[in-house]
Amino acid sequence: MPPHLLSDYLFVLVFLLVGLVFAIAPVLLAAIITPRGVGLKRLTTYESGMAPIGQAWIQFGVSYYLFALIFLAFDVDVLYLFPVLVAYGSFPWRDLVGIALFVGILSLAIVYAWCKGVFEW
Amino acid sequence: MLNIFSEAWQALLNFFGPLALVLVVGLVVALTYVQINALFLVWLERKVAGHIQLRIGPKEVGPFGVLQTIVDGVKLLSKELITPRPASWLLFVLSPILVFMPVLVPFVVLPFGENLQIRDLNVGLMLIFAFAGLNVLAILMGGWASNNKYALLGAVRSVAQNVAYEIPLLLSAMSVVIMANSLSLRAIVEAQQGLWFVFVQPVAAVLYLVGATAETNRAPFDIPEAESELVAGFHTEYSGMRFGLFFLAEYTNMFIVASVATTLFFGGWRGPIADGPWWFLAKVYLLIFGVIWVRWTFPRLRFDQLMNLAWKYLIPIALVNLLATALILKLVR
Repeated sequence: MPPHLLSDYLFVLVFLLVGLVFAIAPVLLAAIITPRGVGLKRLTTYESGMAPIGQAWIQFGVSYYLFALIFLAFDVDVLYLFPVLVAYGSFPWRDLVGIALFVGILSLAIVYAWCKGVFEW
Repeated sequence: MLNIFSEAWQALLNFFGPLALVLVVGLVVALTYVQINALFLVWLERKVAGHIQLRIGPKEVGPFGVLQTIVDGVKLLSKELITPRPASWLLFVLSPILVFMPVLVPFVVLPFGENLQIRDLNVGLMLIFAFAGLNVLAILMGGWASNNKYALLGAVRSVAQNVAYEIPLLLSAMSVVIMANSLSLRAIVEAQQGLWFVFVQPVAAVLYLVGATAETNRAPFDIPEAESELVAGFHTEYSGMRFGLFFLAEYTNMFIVASVATTLFFGGWRGPIADGPWWFLAKVYLLIFGVIWVRWTFPRLRFDQLMNLAWKYLIPIALVNLLATALILKLVR
């Protein structure tokens, strides 16, 4: 790896670590100086004033999982477009045909979901 | 004591050379800027909201109430940090930290001016989108770990929404990348010499702004925290400084998406006269003002409308826009 790339990532790493420190510091400070209340009721979860009924960790139908599936099919593949777009224009017509085919096949995911009625509520 | 510091500084300089100087100065400026930006934006939001609703907003602390946020910050710092007993302790504590940790990274590549960029990475745009993705993870963590029904629902909605609106966001950014042939933010600004991309790519600019509003969870896309139905959404159980971190991250993210919009579509630091960082900041805060204005004007979308807007309209339009751009580029060049 060329040295200037190494220092590029050094910048990212240092900023990330400093971000971590500056996220922990105020919470730590608050944990030291804030008062502690008494009573067990304040440690229950908030349910608009009622006593909580059961837990939140139960099975329930997340109707969004289909969207998550299309997203997986879609967004992960869309990332492959970035390098192609950066190099776009270095070939006469080949890159356009490539992109059109790629995006065309990708959009079949939406067409399929649309036909299956995922977007009907 | 001072001696040790200066010696360590010398060692650092010898090791990395002038890079260390850029790194340290950049860090200090970025950190200070994050705080000041959040203080200013919270005040601006309350002031604008006040005037839109025919109130005056904060006015007691400092001139026009500008110091109100500082007082609120001190109050937040002195509030008890409550971890509910049923919650999953580790994930609950980690979530606000994870949400704030990545917000500094985009400042590495944001081009405030021609020479006012900490480091021009050749993958700058990717870097910003990659670290913005951590936000969703942190929200899901916090919402699930709270073991609170409102928080869980808010988190699940947030993931579905962020995932849906990330695609038009990426695709509209791509139609700029294809024209600039680079992911470096400085190169993208330089490609807009003379003509801003907003005039060449108006559709992509609108898609980006809609997507960015949704990514920052702001009304009319604020269904993850919808106050009237979910208390506060994913951060219902968070109190004190942990809540403060969510808030700080949200306002910094607003600044970051507005900066990326300025870079991609509005010519970055360029202006009609006297190019410089003042143009960049003016455009960014004008965009943010627009986002605040939208928040206090439009009602919240229903969830099915929200998802259908993204999947049925924004994403197909963005795909067609990208292909059309590619075709026109071939015909023109």
